[in-house]
Amino acid sequence: MLATFKYRRRATFIQRLDPRTRFIFMVCIILALTIPEIWDYRIVFPLFLLSLTLFLMARIEWKDVRRAFLYIFILVFFIVGLNGLLSGRGGPSSVLDPTSPVLFEVPFKIPGTDWGWMVPVTVSKAWFAISQMTRMLAMALLAIPIPYTMDPNIYGTAFKRMGVSDKVSFTMDLAFRFLPTFARDLTITIDAQRARGYEMDKLKGGLVARLQRLAPLIIPVTMQSTVTGEEVIDAMDLRAFGTAPRTWLKDLHYAPRDYAMIGLGVAIFITCCVLKWGFGIGGFFVPDFFTKALVG
Amino acid sequence: MNDKSTWEFGTRQVVYGAIGAALYGVFSYVTNIFPLPAAGNITFRPAVAVLIFFGVAYGPWVGLLAGFIGNTLGDAITGWGFYWHWSLGNGLMGMVPGLIMASLKDFKARATIMKAVGWGTLGIAVGMLFASLTEMFVGGIDLSTALVGYFTPAFLGNFVVTVILLPILMVAFAGVAARRGR
Repeated sequence: MLATFKYRRRATFIQRLDPRTRFIFMVCIILALTIPEIWDYRIVFPLFLLSLTLFLMARIEWKDVRRAFLYIFILVFFIVGLNGLLSGRGGPSSVLDPTSPVLFEVPFKIPGTDWGWMVPVTVSKAWFAISQMTRMLAMALLAIPIPYTMDPNIYGTAFKRMGVSDKVSFTMDLAFRFLPTFARDLTITIDAQRARGYEMDKLKGGLVARLQRLAPLIIPVTMQSTVTGEEVIDAMDLRAFGTAPRTWLKDLHYAPRDYAMIGLGVAIFITCCVLKWGFGIGGFFVPDFFTKALVG
Repeated sequence: MNDKSTWEFGTRQVVYGAIGAALYGVFSYVTNIFPLPAAGNITFRPAVAVLIFFGVAYGPWVGLLAGFIGNTLGDAITGWGFYWHWSLGNGLMGMVPGLIMASLKDFKARATIMKAVGWGTLGIAVGMLFASLTEMFVGGIDLSTALVGYFTPAFLGNFVVTVILLPILMVAFAGVAARRGR
């Protein structure tokens, strides 16, 4: 087990972008969908396609993101999708439109009894589930490529250049540097405990049982890290850290493509706000073609 | 054990914020494969005890940074992307127990440990409630799903982890600090 960023340099448009551009663009899309509460498929679907295009342009190998997509699939389809399909709650009240045609009913009954109730799955709920999943993926697809396509050494500089203070930026930078070190420490600790008969693979049972098995790993690594911390503090204090504004080795410069991407992100955000608050466009509704496709 | 100025933000806070974040990220990565039953995207995270420990031992800024950056790192290396509201919720979970840092003297004393667990529990409640409620806007879930499907399992799981692991971490830390002499 080695937890680290799977960054690899690739000659792609995404990696040529300034890291700040990618963060700003991602925030713009997340805010565009959430602040004005956009559910309209005419806005959500194009944004999803845009995110998907950017994700594919990152050219990340499938083996790298296979595990990530398994979790995304479980989260989005089984939890968010089924919740939307069965309950229809979580979105605008129009999702629960009582006049929406019922497609089928799902029985929820206590096993061995007739006690329970029937949950109607309507056209409205079905469309809502699709909209909700697409909306979530539109946001997630922008964030997933970041650890694979952004140099971990540049995060600190990127945040500093976005206006974050020296100390917070340096905290971020240090955290990225410590990550592989502590992952290595954890691996060494696991090996050492295994040599003493510890079996991590049998991490089963209830919460307490799991904790009892994890404690011999967590405690030594955490305590060792506090000792390491004191050495790092001494080294930084000796170099007068924090006494004056610091300089950063790596420099970042926006290129025309960065301005274009930031402009696009800001334009999407403003457009979503204007459409929703200015023209009342962007709310949830079931398109006719979907209703016709399901109920004729 | 520490410089007892609660809101100081110097070299110590920068370094331990980073260490807490990296540890939280690594431990979260290891246990992100254990989902909690009947929950949304909530996983079993013993790392929460480490986060609260860093808050209690080094103050609110360290807890906030360790939680926010650590959750972001853990989600990123697991490949889940970035969920700002959960990261901020984790930050609050580390920050709230940090508020009592200045009043904690002996990490081996039962009263100190009880106090830390109590404030840790408050931190879990505040952080997870924030994250669960903001999920209503970001993920489009309703209030009952936010409270029953997200907040309750997250709170209970993190509470159990804190009650069991935080005292062990505090006692171990008291020993390490005594040997180190500061």
